[in-house]
Amino acid sequence: MNRAALAWSAAGLLAAILLPWYALQDGLGSGAWLAGLWSDEAAANALAQVVEHGKWWLAPVLAALAGCLVVALLPMQGRRRGAWLLAMSATGVLLFGVQAFAVGLRGWNADWLTAAFGELDGRQFGIGAGGTVVLIAFLSLLSIGLASRGAFGGDSFVAGAMTAVTASILLFTAWPVLHILAQAFQDQDGAARPLLAFARLAEAKIWGLACLTGGGNCGVAWNTLFLALACGAGSTALGLAFALIVTRTAVRFRRTLRVLTVLPIITPPFVIGLALILVFGRSGLVNQLLDWSFGVQPTRWIYGLPGLLLAQLFAFTPVAFLVLIGVVEGVSPTLEEASQTLRADRWATFSTVSLPLMLPGLANAFLVGFIESIADFGNPIVLGGDYGVLSTEIYFAVVGAQLDYGRAAALALLLLGFALAAFFLQRRIVGGRSYATISGKGDAGLPTPLPRGVRRAAQWIALPWAAFTALLYAFVFAGGFVKVWGRDYTPTLAHYAKAFSIERSPSGLIWSGAAWNSFWTTVELAAVAAPLTAALGLVAAWLMVRQRFAGRGLLEFAAMLSFAVPGTVIGVAYVFAFNVPPLEITGSALIIVLCFVFRNMPVGLRAGMAAMSQIDRSLDEASATLRGRALQTLYFVVAPLLRPAIVGALIYGFVRAVTTVSAVVFLVTAEYDLATTYIVLRVINGDYGLAIAYSCALIVLMLVAILLIQALVGDRRLGRRAPQPQGSVA
Amino acid sequence: MSVRFTDVVKRYGTTPAVAGVSFTVESGTLVTLLGPSGCGKTTTLRMIAGLELPSEGLVEIAGRDVTHLPATQRDVSMVFQSYALFPHMSVLENVAYGLRRSGLGREEAVKRATDGLVQVGLAGYGGRQPSELSGGQQQRVAVARALVLKPSVLLFDEPLSNLDARLRRQMREEIRELQQRLGLTVVYVTHDQQEAMAVSDRIIVMNAGRIEQEGTPRDLYERPATPFLARFMGESNPARGQARRLDGGRMLVRLGNVEIEVEDARAAEGEVTVAVRPEAITVERAPGPAGTLAGTIAKASYLGTHMEYSIDTAAGTLFATCPQVGRPLEAGTAVALALAPRGVIVVGGS
Repeated sequence: MNRAALAWSAAGLLAAILLPWYALQDGLGSGAWLAGLWSDEAAANALAQVVEHGKWWLAPVLAALAGCLVVALLPMQGRRRGAWLLAMSATGVLLFGVQAFAVGLRGWNADWLTAAFGELDGRQFGIGAGGTVVLIAFLSLLSIGLASRGAFGGDSFVAGAMTAVTASILLFTAWPVLHILAQAFQDQDGAARPLLAFARLAEAKIWGLACLTGGGNCGVAWNTLFLALACGAGSTALGLAFALIVTRTAVRFRRTLRVLTVLPIITPPFVIGLALILVFGRSGLVNQLLDWSFGVQPTRWIYGLPGLLLAQLFAFTPVAFLVLIGVVEGVSPTLEEASQTLRADRWATFSTVSLPLMLPGLANAFLVGFIESIADFGNPIVLGGDYGVLSTEIYFAVVGAQLDYGRAAALALLLLGFALAAFFLQRRIVGGRSYATISGKGDAGLPTPLPRGVRRAAQWIALPWAAFTALLYAFVFAGGFVKVWGRDYTPTLAHYAKAFSIERSPSGLIWSGAAWNSFWTTVELAAVAAPLTAALGLVAAWLMVRQRFAGRGLLEFAAMLSFAVPGTVIGVAYVFAFNVPPLEITGSALIIVLCFVFRNMPVGLRAGMAAMSQIDRSLDEASATLRGRALQTLYFVVAPLLRPAIVGALIYGFVRAVTTVSAVVFLVTAEYDLATTYIVLRVINGDYGLAIAYSCALIVLMLVAILLIQALVGDRRLGRRAPQPQGSVA
Repeated sequence: MSVRFTDVVKRYGTTPAVAGVSFTVESGTLVTLLGPSGCGKTTTLRMIAGLELPSEGLVEIAGRDVTHLPATQRDVSMVFQSYALFPHMSVLENVAYGLRRSGLGREEAVKRATDGLVQVGLAGYGGRQPSELSGGQQQRVAVARALVLKPSVLLFDEPLSNLDARLRRQMREEIRELQQRLGLTVVYVTHDQQEAMAVSDRIIVMNAGRIEQEGTPRDLYERPATPFLARFMGESNPARGQARRLDGGRMLVRLGNVEIEVEDARAAEGEVTVAVRPEAITVERAPGPAGTLAGTIAKASYLGTHMEYSIDTAAGTLFATCPQVGRPLEAGTAVALALAPRGVIVVGGS
């Protein structure tokens, strides 16, 4: 007898009898389903579905589960039982998948199935509580089977984690992306038309070059590419200037610079666009000043490429800065010292040693800026004007008057192509050519001061830029406290009152502000998603760094996929993949949480892998020889050492969930509206006061959340000596 | 003379890393800065290189005051502990780098760099990347890169610490051979006393930012001036004894029940600290002849080439090495110890 296997098979069988197999319209909460557990087709359990409601295709699945129970009960030798369990549960998973995908809302899901087996009298909805538990039971049994066959060092926790991570990445990252790829090659009715994608992509609206000849707008593909190249180059140059100043000069306000450049990360992406409108828009400060002093007519130049580029540079320079600060710090001072002792002056050292060593990092920063730019949705929708880019074009194809899903999918395919091309280019350029290694011991060199010209240039670029960023934030903050920006600068609290008013009534407090609904939804969903994101990312990282298994590279690629895929594409992919059975969750809070988790998990994964590879494997092995099982090692040894990574992943998971626009704009509903999508709509409607007030509240919310997470999880405590004053190494 | 330090001080904040040192390095000699970690030896070396500038004092190289001159303008070159080979250049480009920066044309630089690689026995390796070389080869590239500039002083910062023991011995012999063949002036930093003794003409021992003692390897080993030096230069047993001056620069040292005559004109009289070298102790089964120190073996270890004993005596527990491995003595054996005068050093008065 195998207790774990017994427990899981029993749990699966109980779920098949006690829970409704399919998803219910109003969820499990009410308990009304209990009455119809046998008789009501919608709420019936799996057994009743087979016996009473003619869903014969569920029978083999249940049989496989029963088979697992028998295998668990029979007296058998460990490895033999493992083999049987493995076979049974793998069959179960396979049968489960086949029936779920083959039979849909209108009988057979594909024409060839109808042709082969004849018309099917029956249909099925999305998988519900019963189905989910049975699937989990199968996967657990599969892991137990694998572990007792000796896979993953025979540790069933590792096998379970492995199965869970693989299954969830396949289901919630790989499948939606593949699904949308397929969609581009189908017509409106779902029939395969391979050439349609090319027809859709060949339009003049996408590839036109009219702007070069002066006759109108260029195609959105060119627009997207041009904007992304400019944004990548600009943010890299700015980021390098900041990184050089912060790490290599003795400027007094270095700390302030650091804070200022990190601030945009907790700012929803479109807030910068909003601030630019306040300053340069038609009724913005600059235009009013010009109008008042010189009588210059206000223009709309900010709406289009110039404004868009400016906004993206403000928004993404901090990201480039964060990448490059590591790069600049990674250039070993000893190499620069060696260059000095070899008679190279500061400029020769910088240009022949430091800069070439930074080159892979610079390429990396450029490509990050490029990918961020093509994935950006908030700024183009707010500032784009006539300058259409792919992400807004996809949005209008889905929600606009066109309602052309095939076109949206084709455009998403193109966007995905750009992103993946950039991603692979980055891996080719950067992969294996990173010199930013901090060698072990003995390197106590001092960084060489920058050549005067480089230092001056960096200061002249970075300091005004930083000042301007500060100014923009000041305007955003002030904008929430005036009546109508541009016309009536009377101080007022009306916008905050409108968004966040609370009324006292005899029946208790009433959250009467317009923003409360979306605010609480955002906080709740982000708070649910953040720990899941961090946990999934770090467990996946642990598996990939510490466990050896076939297909490791493939799994890592699949996990990282959703990072390279622009948010707009992910959003559309989720809508398409999850609005029909077997996984019918469009319109629910679940889909938003899943989107948050799988979109942000790659960052937790990266951070976890980086942190994990710094922790000596011998610590794990020591724990193992001291009788620590994998779960205990993870909990008692690895997790405490990973605290900084955990904090980072939690904060990132939360902040990105709160600030993201592009992915969730397709997923929100009236019931589950989110703060960012609510604000974007207010901006589009010209209701700037409320939008600004709300954005400021969000920034405060994230600051509070970050402090809270840091206080709760805390720092890694190692009994290390206080850091020595620099240079005192003899 | 090639390098001269006069009252050089280096402070970080208020803590001095080097608290006033003066020394000279003669041309064509190899001088080692030796000391435990944190003693200021690397800081001193970096001040010769010009990578750190002194807070006080005077630094001269080849007769020229270079106290405030940056590294680029000094006629020195350095071999770093991590070798600091540029990972984005080939071996040849690395070696030619300094020549190019000194204003040589490409052809001439390549020619001299190739010669430099021949000097260190790496002919034909020019096209490789540094990461394709073994640790010892990388070390040689670093030496060649410094050598081809024909500097007035060549600096080595713990050059062997990243190599394994066998290679370390071979590389230190190569460095010494190269230095003597080319008549180079070398300043060498290490914390390894054996390495220092093997390569140096002179050794400067530093401790806590000051020079503890300076001299030839033999001077330092046989006549350490302080208990710190006696401990640091090889192994020694600290013991308490009484010293009395005799005629002709000799002293009578009393340890427990034995008296030994040693040659030493400097030491103080009265209660003194005595350092006894473990190899100067001859261990015999008791009873020994008169003038030996009685003791009991507390611990015995077999090390292949020799035995190591810990022996309880009236003068304290002494540690002795003994080449006779054929007839080892067991713990608990009563023994008689004869002390060779050469290994009995008076290191300080009371």
